[in-house]
Amino acid sequence: MRGTADRASAKAADRWRFYTLAPALAVYLLLALLPIVNLATMSVHDIHWQQGAARWTLVGMKHYAELPRDVLVRAGLANTALFALIAVTAEMLIGFALALFVSRIAVGRVLYRTIFLLPILLPGIVIGAIWKLMYNPDFGVINQLLHLLGLPGFDWLGSGSLAFLSVIIVDVWHWTPFVFLLLLAGLETLPQDIHEAAMLDGASAWQELRDVTIPMMVPILVMTLAFRLIVSFKVFDEVYLLTGGGPGTATEVLSFTIYRRFFTEDRMGYGSAISVIALFLLTLVIVLFMGMARRRMHAH
Amino acid sequence: MISRHGTPEHLPVRPFVALVALAVSVATFLWAGTAFAQASAAWPRVSPITIVINQSPWFGGFSKVVEAYEKETGNKVTLDVNPFAGSGEKQRNSVRSKEGQFDILVMNSAWLAEFYHGGFLTPLNTIDPAFKLDPQVMSYDDTGYWDAARKSNNAKTGVVYGVPINGNIQVLYYRADLYEKAGLKVPQTWEELAANAKALNSPPNVYGMVQRGARSASDISYDWMPYLHSHNGAIFKDEKAGDFTVTINSPEARQALDVYVNLAKTVGPPNPGSYGQAQVIQALLTGKAAHATPVIAAWPQLDDATKSAVVGKVNVAVLPHGPGGRTTPTLGHFIGGIPNNIPKDRQVAALAFLRWFQSYDAQVKYAQTGQPPIRSDVYAAAFMKTPEYRWSPAVLASLPNAKMMYTVPEGPQIASVLELRLNQAVLGEKTTADALNTAAAEIHDLMQKAGYKTARLPPLK
Repeated sequence: MRGTADRASAKAADRWRFYTLAPALAVYLLLALLPIVNLATMSVHDIHWQQGAARWTLVGMKHYAELPRDVLVRAGLANTALFALIAVTAEMLIGFALALFVSRIAVGRVLYRTIFLLPILLPGIVIGAIWKLMYNPDFGVINQLLHLLGLPGFDWLGSGSLAFLSVIIVDVWHWTPFVFLLLLAGLETLPQDIHEAAMLDGASAWQELRDVTIPMMVPILVMTLAFRLIVSFKVFDEVYLLTGGGPGTATEVLSFTIYRRFFTEDRMGYGSAISVIALFLLTLVIVLFMGMARRRMHAH
Repeated sequence: MISRHGTPEHLPVRPFVALVALAVSVATFLWAGTAFAQASAAWPRVSPITIVINQSPWFGGFSKVVEAYEKETGNKVTLDVNPFAGSGEKQRNSVRSKEGQFDILVMNSAWLAEFYHGGFLTPLNTIDPAFKLDPQVMSYDDTGYWDAARKSNNAKTGVVYGVPINGNIQVLYYRADLYEKAGLKVPQTWEELAANAKALNSPPNVYGMVQRGARSASDISYDWMPYLHSHNGAIFKDEKAGDFTVTINSPEARQALDVYVNLAKTVGPPNPGSYGQAQVIQALLTGKAAHATPVIAAWPQLDDATKSAVVGKVNVAVLPHGPGGRTTPTLGHFIGGIPNNIPKDRQVAALAFLRWFQSYDAQVKYAQTGQPPIRSDVYAAAFMKTPEYRWSPAVLASLPNAKMMYTVPEGPQIASVLELRLNQAVLGEKTTADALNTAAAEIHDLMQKAGYKTARLPPLK
């Protein structure tokens, strides 16, 4: 009898929580879904302005059919995927190494943490200005250092082969602190007794890392990786400030293509179609990635 | 003996001071009243206005003229200052809303066509039927006029929609000191320019010619246009007559691009495909460019000792031309227009500013900040003959030939195609023929989709 009453009370509490949260959920869905619905509607229209008023013409899937032939969309997709792969891998490796290092020192931990976090505190526009100056082939500090070492300087942003790498370096510099911060927080919450037990069992540092620390860190690593992947697919400010997508299409990324087509060229219908495809691809990547990660976590 | 107020007691100071103060006050009041009455009679008091404008090399001069307007008329002006692209986007958002935020739109030639074709602007005669552009205001390819029926800028068939705000065009900047030392003559043709550039090319200290080879919203395409037009080439066969046959891959266009790419490769800086406007101006200011063709708005920095290493060493001339062609700078000017979607009192106030701005006195003030005036009679003023205005003859001589880059609202799409393909030609990713053939196919495609009557030339071999 007591159990039935408890279950009924728990159900009532659940229902109460659901109904009290429902208005917030409705507002959230409205705010999240409305722009997407609007974007999808725009993507099947041509929108022109005549006599001060917008004229919407239904064009069906015309814009979507155009996408595969668009040289900027193709370059943007390929570069974005490559950018996300290289930049996020580097950030995860460096961020994890730094977090491990800081978690294992007793003196100066706060100082190290503060210094490693500095880049993430800077606004994108400041980062763009700093790196543009540093990369300047004539008076930039990087080339001056190379000259001091007797090495030739490079046109870091002007050369087709170097510009993409230069943008990735800035992204790694900017976002590694974020990865570091999340992973350090994760490392600090791991139970110490398991580490101690591993040491008592005679595990080497590498074995402890491979068999104890990393498996316990998997949920945090997955979440950090997922977050960074999402943000890196949306990369815009670094490209906008440093290279404008050039030289040629060397640093063209999808967000920048959307900006160019949507705003600079004022092609709202076509720009919306690229946005819808970008949203779809990003969702697909995240769903696949999270599914894979969940399976791996269950296996562990 | 000193009183407790610190004044010698034997002097009858207080009544004297009071009398003088009263006399000064009355005189000031009378003078101010008369001056105000005179100013009010010439320039009526109107509602405060907001002008949306971009931050650019000529903005400092414009803001000083606005200050003079406020002082002279007592009217209030707020300037909404933005980066170049941001200004265009803000203007677009404002004219598309129910009630506009801005009273005067300072529109660049890059987005002027969009605003005319979109029907966002008010004919100035609907605000004041007596208003007309002063005959001394220069034409700038008739861009202050719009013929809504024919959809073209035409002073004869259209009506006035805007007042030029800045007469920005390209000119040839050259190092006069190096010319004198090497005994060179100012070039008339691109071929002569190439020879002079080769003579002065001494990398990495001085590059013979520094151009805008970068890809952006409008860098290389804008810089290359004078080469194209002065070789008798064009994007379309006859844009003003409505013939949109794509001619960007004509033999003349190829010759123009060959000249451009050849200059970039032989006498330009390393990686010329990454040079935008800022880098070109920086190369001039630091003495690294023997020649460049930026807009005249960049001039005031060159004679400013706090910014330039070449004060007094640079001069300007009209742009060279190709065989059988004539010098044809591209307009990078700005037109001030009034949107439809603001209340009448703000339209009246905006027109009051534009009327004042086109006056001789206002343009003298503008020219005195180092910017090119929009009136031809100001160029005849005595101060314009002094060495610091040595740029003015070249600008005045260039203006009658200055051309718009494009006059259709699809202009930014055309520029986007050209920016990529021309940049690829400079980078060596495509041959000049291949770059122009690809651009022609893409421009033809987009014009066809937009519903224009168009065709294209056979591909270049």
